[in-house]
Amino acid sequence: MTSREEKYLELKRAHAAGRMDRRSFLRRAGALGIVPLVIPAHMRPAFANAEELVVVNWGGPAEAAYMNAFGEPFTEETGIPVFIDGTGPSVGRIRAMVEANAVVWDVCDSGVAGAINLGPGGYLEPIDYSIVSAERCRPEFVWEHGIGNYLFCNVLTYNTEAFEEAPTTWADMWDVEKFPGGRTMRRNVLGGVMESALQAAGVAKEDVYDTLGTADGRALAFEKLEELKPHTLYWSSASESQQLYRTGEVTIGNIWHTRSRGLRNDSNGQFTWTWNQGQLTAGAWLVPRGNPAGAEAAMRFIAVAQEPENQVLLLEVMGNGPINPEAAALVPEELRADDPGQPENYDLMLADSEAFYSEYYDEVQERYLELIS
Amino acid sequence: MMRSQTAPYWWLVVPALAALGVFYLYPVAQVLWLSVTEPAPGLGNYTTLYESQTVRNVIWRTTWISLVTTVFTVTLGYVVAYALAQVGRRTLVIMLFAVLMTLWLSVLIRAFSWVVLLQTNGLVNQALIAIGLIDRPLPLLRNELGVIIGMVHFMLPLAILPMYANMSGLDRRVMQAADVLGARSWQAFWWVWFPMSRPGIIVATLLVFVFSLGFFVTPAILGGGRVMMLSEYISFQFQETLRWGQATMLASTLLLGVLAVLAVATRFIDMKRLFGARG
Repeated sequence: MTSREEKYLELKRAHAAGRMDRRSFLRRAGALGIVPLVIPAHMRPAFANAEELVVVNWGGPAEAAYMNAFGEPFTEETGIPVFIDGTGPSVGRIRAMVEANAVVWDVCDSGVAGAINLGPGGYLEPIDYSIVSAERCRPEFVWEHGIGNYLFCNVLTYNTEAFEEAPTTWADMWDVEKFPGGRTMRRNVLGGVMESALQAAGVAKEDVYDTLGTADGRALAFEKLEELKPHTLYWSSASESQQLYRTGEVTIGNIWHTRSRGLRNDSNGQFTWTWNQGQLTAGAWLVPRGNPAGAEAAMRFIAVAQEPENQVLLLEVMGNGPINPEAAALVPEELRADDPGQPENYDLMLADSEAFYSEYYDEVQERYLELIS
Repeated sequence: MMRSQTAPYWWLVVPALAALGVFYLYPVAQVLWLSVTEPAPGLGNYTTLYESQTVRNVIWRTTWISLVTTVFTVTLGYVVAYALAQVGRRTLVIMLFAVLMTLWLSVLIRAFSWVVLLQTNGLVNQALIAIGLIDRPLPLLRNELGVIIGMVHFMLPLAILPMYANMSGLDRRVMQAADVLGARSWQAFWWVWFPMSRPGIIVATLLVFVFSLGFFVTPAILGGGRVMMLSEYISFQFQETLRWGQATMLASTLLLGVLAVLAVATRFIDMKRLFGARG
């Protein structure tokens, strides 16, 4: 046995006997170059007696990426193993789980719609802001029952080979003469749909939600949407949005920047996007009420996921924008153009208004479906 | 006497009935229950059937597309089934294999294959332009036409198999008799063969129509977001907007609609005999 291992065992015994608190145990073990991956149950604080923490996201590359960026650091800190379930925590599934008293998820990677629709119904644990830091998230995405996880945006994405000059505004998307070809936008109104329509009609970014707050403003947005409808296909899954560009059915449209980035990378730049007038939204961490690992463990996980370094990892792999404002400065030079959180990009965009969607989501979604289908 | 002989066999049915009760009837009852209790008790959800233009549009479109799909599927399927009933053993095996093979392919793969074929620069449009039939690509995709093409393709085996089963059981000698009695071939077909094949047509029609009403994947992919059918609308209300009362009301309406179709059908035909429960 090396002396390093001997010293570590000594630390462990001291910790087990209660002569040393957990924090100094971890620090001194760390100084030896040893990070205890799984801390025995009796050494854990109460919240960490959970056997595992189940984090649900939307699968694909996100499973490994979340494990790497958030899961492993969380296990190192708490000793609780993390399981990533990539089956998609849709709002309906969360509600069904809570109502059936059969919650098997601890932390869900949902969105603005989840926080708005599930929070008031009592399906979620409130975010404990003594553990999770409200300052480590963009203020637009801090809610009572959820908190922003990463930034993503609905951006003007186009085929560079289809036009002589690059489109830069939503008004260009509405200009079918100058920018011919198919259009696309999300089938869910939460996707910068009405916001882009109003900006195409000449409403300034700052006035969009004030305008949407009036019946006339909403009518104007729907009028613009109706105008573009003959040219528009409405995507529901993100992979579908990419396919529409690849097949040439669409030359310009409004899709998630993470997907625009994928399109650009796969096509050597044939497709690209502009941040100008983009619609900022966020993935949101939600904790279903009565989650098996306990609310505290879930909050600790969210706190770990707020570490700026961890968030930058996700930007690198998936293009998800760090939502912790501290992270912007840590983003390596070559990734900054793809980071919605860089001030020069962030300031061009408009963030989803929780106030507007809490009040009008049902109404405008219904009207939007009526318009398109 | 009969009773004592058959009674023990009923016990063999019990596990299947129990499974149906737990995994099918109970959830269906829950759906019905939710539709009259959520968000408030009463028939509030059902008033949307009259009040909401969107809901009426979706129901109308679903019915229309299902009807068109059924007509095309049963007509095309009848031709195939008729051919199957005429050909020799070896050809029959090959043809049946071809029909069944489409059943084994995932519905997703089939829908995406149609995207490849029907898109603006797809094979079908390229071929039509190459032979000079059209100048510019036809819009075959992301509209009702695309949805109907995809659905007919999916439903064909479901129509062919019951009609073939019916035709293969028919007595060919009556056709010879018609021939001997001087009927022309179209007369023999129309007056003799067609009436005998009607039970198969009815089963195929019911099967395809009912199946079409609840279809989800193909319209979602081939419709480009603009051809929203009932099940997709229900799914949206369930998953995204959490209007479960609306979703379950529409699901219940769909179920009642299907039951009504079957009820009407039973007035005209003997269902038990159609499905082989009575010889």
